[in-house]
Amino acid sequence: MDLRGEYLPLQGETTTADSISATLPSPSPGAKQGLATGFKKVLRTEEDSPSPFPGLLPGVLEMRVKEGSKIRNLMGFAMARMQSDPGDSGQAGLRQVVFTGSGRAVTKTITCAEIMKRKVGGLHQLTKLRYKGVQEVWESQEGGDAEMTIHRTVPSISILLSKDPLDPLEPGYQPPETQTALWEEREGADVPQPAAKRSFDQTVSEPQSKRFCPQANESKRCAEPEVVRRK
Amino acid sequence: MADPRSQVSASVPQKPLGFSASEGTTIEMDPMEYTLRKRLPRKLPKRRNDVYINMKTDFKAQLARCQKLLDGGAGHREICIHGLGLAINRAINIALQLQAFSQGALQLAANTSTVELIDDLEPDDPDEAGEPLTRTRNNSAIHIKVFYPSA
Repeated sequence: MDLRGEYLPLQGETTTADSISATLPSPSPGAKQGLATGFKKVLRTEEDSPSPFPGLLPGVLEMRVKEGSKIRNLMGFAMARMQSDPGDSGQAGLRQVVFTGSGRAVTKTITCAEIMKRKVGGLHQLTKLRYKGVQEVWESQEGGDAEMTIHRTVPSISILLSKDPLDPLEPGYQPPETQTALWEEREGADVPQPAAKRSFDQTVSEPQSKRFCPQANESKRCAEPEVVRRK
Repeated sequence: MADPRSQVSASVPQKPLGFSASEGTTIEMDPMEYTLRKRLPRKLPKRRNDVYINMKTDFKAQLARCQKLLDGGAGHREICIHGLGLAINRAINIALQLQAFSQGALQLAANTSTVELIDDLEPDDPDEAGEPLTRTRNNSAIHIKVFYPSA
């Protein structure tokens, strides 16, 4: 039978931990199951939810980042809107932009915000996390018109970047230019030379450093060298 | 052995040899073959209440670890969950799970950042006298403070 059925009671409080973890980190098992049982995902719709930033001006630009969105397209559009001069085509540059994305688009969403912060500078940031409901329609591939609708909850992120100051007491607020200051601020004197980016020899020789191994999602590949072919 | 990286970083010059490229730039490559080794991210602070999420450890184990830090003997009022790259999703997921289990008692405050990562390119053929190269690239990261509001 189709294992995906197990994901259906996702909304139930008790099952979420397990099933979300099973569905989220790698949608590939789902896809494989889909293949094995002859089902294919044909539609994915996000359920509407209220804006995580109440009190925002209605005209604010919302960039919805999807899994397949190209960063250059998103950034080309958003940067143009944020940077346009008042004299330019009569439209003043926007003061605020929101990047939202869910599921596998979360990383891309953060990357967009990070790029914009770096390019524009002086931006105040507010980050909000929550679950978002997603409806997926799976269609049978083996003839017949069997169709399944699956409700899943996926993590989603919304990042508000603003040229105007935001409430610093709001959870998830980040003042401008915290790219490197993030750690000093929180740790005080505890931080071991955060600016020294290339002092890797030292860190590796420290006995503690191995504990940091797991945080690298790349470290998997470190173990087996990967041959890179140049084009 | 389990840790080939320490050797790697020892044999490679610490300064990138004019090979650092920002994201998006295309780099002209030599036709010869290189082995790409990704170094570990630079060292970040590790307090008792810091949790670095990865994609190797079982999700439930990592969630349980966070839960244990928040209640039980340790009883931290706040923990900090970090995720880099692919692990961002999982970090968010864990934070939201913790919040859901706490029935609204816990709050989340997320910050994002960019982490510079270093790759080493080692020539496969030692006779070709190719120089080992390093390349830096950026990856996004998230830092989620999970805390009981003091009020």
